[in-house]
Amino acid sequence: MTAWNIRPIASALWRNRTGAILVAFQIAIGLAVLVNAVYVVKQRVEKIGRPNGMDTANMIWVASAGFAKDYDYKAAYSEDLATLRGLPGVKAASLFSNIPLSGGGSSSGYQSRPGEVGPKETVPGNKYDVDEQALAALGVKLIAGRPFEAHEILPPSETYEDSPQAIVTRAFAKELFPKDENFLGKTFYNGIGEPMTIIGVIEHMHGAWVGWDKLDNVVLFPRVKNGPSSIYLVRTEPGRRDAVMRDIEAKLGDSNPGRLLRWVRPFDYFINQSYLDDRNMAIFLVSVTSALLAITALGIFGLATFNVSTRIRQIGTRRAVGARRMDIVRHYLVENWMVTTAGVVAGCGAALGIGYWISVKYELPRLDLYYLVGGVLTIWLIGLAAALQPARRASTISPAVASRTV
Amino acid sequence: MFGYYLELAFRNLKRNPGLTALMIGAVALGIAVCVLTLTLYRAMSGNPIWWKNDVLYAVTMDFWDPQEPAWDDKPHLPPTQLTYRDAMAVYASDIPQRKVIMHKAVGILSVDGQGMLPERAATRVTTKDFFAMFDVPFQYGGTWTDAADAGPEPVLVISRKINEKLFGGANSVGRRIRWNDNEFRIVGVRDHWMPLPTFYDVNNDVLEEPEDVYIPFGWSVALELDSTGNTNGWKPEDIKTYQQFLNAEVIWIQMWAELPDEATRNRFQAFLDNYAMEQKRAGRYQRPLNNRLTKVDQWLVDNNVVGNDDRVLVGLAFAFLAVCLLNTVGLLLAKFLNGASITGVRRALGASRKQVFYQHLVEVGLVSSIGALLGLALGALLLAGLRSLYTVDPTDAGGTQAIAHVDVTSVVTALLLAFFATLAAGLYPAWRIGRIPPASYLKAQ
Repeated sequence: MTAWNIRPIASALWRNRTGAILVAFQIAIGLAVLVNAVYVVKQRVEKIGRPNGMDTANMIWVASAGFAKDYDYKAAYSEDLATLRGLPGVKAASLFSNIPLSGGGSSSGYQSRPGEVGPKETVPGNKYDVDEQALAALGVKLIAGRPFEAHEILPPSETYEDSPQAIVTRAFAKELFPKDENFLGKTFYNGIGEPMTIIGVIEHMHGAWVGWDKLDNVVLFPRVKNGPSSIYLVRTEPGRRDAVMRDIEAKLGDSNPGRLLRWVRPFDYFINQSYLDDRNMAIFLVSVTSALLAITALGIFGLATFNVSTRIRQIGTRRAVGARRMDIVRHYLVENWMVTTAGVVAGCGAALGIGYWISVKYELPRLDLYYLVGGVLTIWLIGLAAALQPARRASTISPAVASRTV
Repeated sequence: MFGYYLELAFRNLKRNPGLTALMIGAVALGIAVCVLTLTLYRAMSGNPIWWKNDVLYAVTMDFWDPQEPAWDDKPHLPPTQLTYRDAMAVYASDIPQRKVIMHKAVGILSVDGQGMLPERAATRVTTKDFFAMFDVPFQYGGTWTDAADAGPEPVLVISRKINEKLFGGANSVGRRIRWNDNEFRIVGVRDHWMPLPTFYDVNNDVLEEPEDVYIPFGWSVALELDSTGNTNGWKPEDIKTYQQFLNAEVIWIQMWAELPDEATRNRFQAFLDNYAMEQKRAGRYQRPLNNRLTKVDQWLVDNNVVGNDDRVLVGLAFAFLAVCLLNTVGLLLAKFLNGASITGVRRALGASRKQVFYQHLVEVGLVSSIGALLGLALGALLLAGLRSLYTVDPTDAGGTQAIAHVDVTSVVTALLLAFFATLAAGLYPAWRIGRIPPASYLKAQ
């Protein structure tokens, strides 16, 4: 007799295999889902949590849309900026052509030399037209050069001119000039050969679309876009954002009857919106996977309970002929472990198959085997925990049962 | 006999309330999750105008960069929109029964003499066939004329929602309204219309509500509007003025055609190819000839309207339902075998295997019906939770929230699926219990 009595346990299990097979199937599905869900959720959490380089918590966006025929937008934005910059608690305010991380924006291809270049040499960048307070309003870190100065800002014009100066992120500069380390004073070109000089380099900042792999490529131009709709970025002293938002609504709400103050929103609003699908996917996966594992655990529990209740007399007999309580508990835990392991073996195949499909569909690296190991251990633990109570109950069956009904 | 079996089933279920609750709970949870994901999936993937699938075509033409296809991952497809000059040239064809060219814009609405704040309204700049082509319902009035498109005449159509806001829901046809401070006359009020997804323009959020204002296409040039949807180009060009923008290799206009039969479709395809060949001679359209007329269902697939996340979720829902059903089978089996001694007596007293099988099947049916009902309720609850998950700002109207209503078709699908799946799952335990030789249970008594 071996210490663990594997053979008799296996043969007892085999005599009543239907229930065990059903549970093993559940475990196989549970493992496959668990491993891949954890993998996908981790990707999403990392995506949502990556730093965007800006002082997000203290930033406010304001949108104004002029509609009256006689609306003088040039006067209006100067007045608005003066009002915003004069509010207590405001550190800086700048015009912006679009809102980063909002899913809306503008991008262009740039190149390191003029003339016709192939698609491989074209470097895409998220571009924003801003004024001299932009860097202070973003709260980004300037690692070289200087911010724009007020006299450098190109006024709005009916024709669209690119500006001769630009501040860029390091990621963008590095992609344009892969061999260089110092990008200050370097010239790059737009698609029609107009040159621009880099006067400042930002350490890191995110552009418009969170799903784009060129999110880190940002180009700022000193320019005010034309037209009656304006977007302002306001950065406040730490902790004063909400108070400043109320002030802005009060001050700009009806300051000009020819325009509509469309909204005043914290930056978080746009960031949450952009990551909404990722966040929801993570929430879905976590909740459905937990529910699935809970149901599987109930299935394991149900099987063990059933196996105990149909074998009361046999257990009593075993106890009567000398088995200790420990032996009974061990019997059920080992039996259950066998079922779990059968499921785990089948589940590993399914997990890898689904993992492969997901890595192809999402263009992610192949599923790491650590996830599989972690998943197997988790399932084993869940299985043990679920079988513990029925096993304990079995061990309390009195040896006297054996003699009662025979 | 059915009534008696039902009574027996009730009695049996009451005998182990814990086990019964577990079974019903598992079925209910499985159904709830399936209702949830199927609703989401249907909202994303359903063809909201399936009844016209054979006649509606998205028009796309490949004039893109000779060195690079418009889509990295689908090089065989042309870009999703047209340039202004191509759109105008193709729109001039009288082959289609109906045709529409359009883009998205934004306008500020105001009404003279009304003490109301101006209202910002998403606007579709489009041609007169838009409504008839996509079966858009009208509450009052109707669309405009051909002349109004070309003119352009200052006429517009507003949504029922805007009409309720500005005119208290009264028939406002003929009333004056200002769009970006230009005076327009209302000719129609569009009724409730919520195609999910918004197949006719897949450039932006396809779960958004349709636009609230519709103005004739000619206003695009007259007011120098550009698209607030998506504008995209491939060619480095010097675009400084609006006229240069109109002539540029830049796509921003969506085109659809209604072609009633195969012959018309072929004629229109030939027309497009002819046009592209002419353009080739003029130096444009340097890629291989690739002009497409795409039906709505294929259009949604081509444009990745159903994302990978949605597919994963549906797969997950079915894995979940499978686990719930396996669980239920296991529990039913355990329960039936537990009551095997009673079944043994029944068999000994003359019940046939068939009768025992039916009796247990009725019990399974009862479990699955109660589970299905509970699951439906739970699913509705989860959908309400989903709505809060999708709401960033509760004051935002419509949008993604619209998917979170209980969709009748997906509910019925999920219910039927769950009911029959559970019933099928119950077949084995019911059959198994009927196979038990009565003698073995009678002996032990």
